[in-house]
Amino acid sequence: MVTLVRPANEETIMTHHASQRRAYLTLVLISLFCLMPFFWVVLAAFDPKASQFLQIPDGITVNHFWNLLANESGVRWVLNSVGIVGTATLLTLILAGFGGYALSRTQAWWKRPLLYAIILVRIVPPPALIVPVYKVMLFLNEWINNLINSLTSDVAQQVVLSRIFSFVDGYLGLILIQTAMQLPLAIWIMKTFFDAIPKDYEEAAALDGASQWQTVRHVLIPLALPGFAAAGLFAFINAWGDFLMPLMFTSSPELQTLPLGMFRAFLRVDAIDYGFLTALAVIYTLPAVIAFAFARKFLTQTFSGGVKG
Amino acid sequence: MSQIELINIKKNYMGTEVVKGIDVTINEGEFAVIVGPSGCGKSTLLRMIAGLEDISSGELKIGGKLMNNVSPDQREIAMVFQSYALYPHMTVAENIGFALALKKTDKAEINRRVLEAAKMLELEHLLERKPAALSGGQRQRVAIGRAIVKRPKVILFDEPLSNLDAKLRVQMRTELMRLHREFGSTIVYVTHDQVEAMTMAQKIIVLNNGHVAQMGKPMDLYRDPENTFVAQFIGVPKMNLLRGNLQADVFTLQSGQKLQLDCGYRDGSDLQLGVRPEHLKLELLQPGSGSENNSEHSWTVDVVERLGVESFIHLCNAARDVLVLRLEGDCDLQVDSKVAVRFDCSHCYLFNEAGVRLLPNTAALDLVG
Repeated sequence: MVTLVRPANEETIMTHHASQRRAYLTLVLISLFCLMPFFWVVLAAFDPKASQFLQIPDGITVNHFWNLLANESGVRWVLNSVGIVGTATLLTLILAGFGGYALSRTQAWWKRPLLYAIILVRIVPPPALIVPVYKVMLFLNEWINNLINSLTSDVAQQVVLSRIFSFVDGYLGLILIQTAMQLPLAIWIMKTFFDAIPKDYEEAAALDGASQWQTVRHVLIPLALPGFAAAGLFAFINAWGDFLMPLMFTSSPELQTLPLGMFRAFLRVDAIDYGFLTALAVIYTLPAVIAFAFARKFLTQTFSGGVKG
Repeated sequence: MSQIELINIKKNYMGTEVVKGIDVTINEGEFAVIVGPSGCGKSTLLRMIAGLEDISSGELKIGGKLMNNVSPDQREIAMVFQSYALYPHMTVAENIGFALALKKTDKAEINRRVLEAAKMLELEHLLERKPAALSGGQRQRVAIGRAIVKRPKVILFDEPLSNLDAKLRVQMRTELMRLHREFGSTIVYVTHDQVEAMTMAQKIIVLNNGHVAQMGKPMDLYRDPENTFVAQFIGVPKMNLLRGNLQADVFTLQSGQKLQLDCGYRDGSDLQLGVRPEHLKLELLQPGSGSENNSEHSWTVDVVERLGVESFIHLCNAARDVLVLRLEGDCDLQVDSKVAVRFDCSHCYLFNEAGVRLLPNTAALDLVG
């Protein structure tokens, strides 16, 4: 009996090893397939003779980057994107922090309906919102431009102020729209994080003599850092990749963001410059990678051991 | 002055009264323990003293000053939470010194006082650690350190030892008593564990269902419980209660066993006789002696708990009365063996149907007179 059982077990183990090897091989193939475009983008960006095919470059050049940043408006696109998305992310975090905390702590009857209403904004596809949002923004735009015109009669000043504060074709409008689009998910993330922070901490702080602001500053924000990192990362990456809203709400080339710049570069009538496009793609990817690397430190940070029971 | 006065304190939660009018005075420097079962309102009462819960009606005075609408940090109190509530992102030193840092105390002074508290609690070597790297007992000591560093007049403890293991609990009890002796602050300590109450308190306040069931010194409550709730809550194992009738100083149990009470109680029916396990004596009935079959006096051994220094014998009789009896040291009783129980009637208590203690006629007459 024993001699019969042992080979059967060995056979099972060997079959198990073989199937595990097959699984890993499949995973490696899938990974290579997924990584291929990234290889191509990185190689082509530094390839003097970049083409649509994956190839090992003859030499290395940074001309594509130079061309993009010096000769084209690459620097402006990057700055526009960083400025708009960065500000929108910051605004999202501030509002989501307050909103998430309030929704976590309140026991009011409207808590649940409001939470579902908030997430509804996220569920509705953005194109469905464009017409009503555009209408609202146009109305606000008219109001702000009248205000700017009444404040100064200097045309140059009016142009600068209008570019910053306009709701359509202005920085403010784009920042607000990006904030509004990212806010629902961020509020939900923050609410969930605050739910996990026991009220005991706030009560202990109150007994220690902390004001409301000191409790937020010294206790709640440090404890909610992983939440802020998660919400901020989602907001930044989503807003960074957004193409539709900048397309709809900007027309001036000066306001163009990176995705729009990339799109318009691709649409040029002359031959496609793969080196230029891939250099653009590398620059487009970098901030998202940096944002992730920055947020990762906080995402993995967990605070435990403060309370028991 | 840090005397705490609770005058007809009530608390309502959405129409439900959870604290139903409490009048208590805790003297300056006293170690008072509020004890009661889960849901009796003891933690709510403590949180009202701390200022973490609004007081629905009544007055709270600390040091003679009305505190109903004073914010928690202005009450000159500190609190140790059941969950410890140590700030997990701060080190032990930062946790202890947080209250002082908020007051913008000089850094050197903060360090001095943190070190002083740490020395007292034997935490000096842990000052740079985060709470996650501490054991349960160490966390508890940090929580206490955070409370004492402010040098408060009143320290509130909300079931602080309930998360510790039994051995550590005993150790922390003595440490808390030592701290109280050294600091002299008024302490209000909430627990559901009557052993903690008995060992530490100078005054015990027993709460039941939002009312004060009785308050007083630990041994006064043990010796003179005013009702069955206190009688059974204070003391381990709890006091035995047996139903029966009283006529001409003879208490008849449901089984028919008669006990001569010589204190002169008024006759009555459906009463409860209370007797503590240590006031019962046991006689083994010899098989075939005849008395074994006398069901009136015969009790059956149900469970024997041997603790080494003492043993607890659980007994039951034909009328389904249950008794717990304490014996010194070990015993060789077997389960299901038949025994007779002798009651020490000078240590028996009598309670009426509602559970209120009845006093002997002489005492009652004295009171009336």
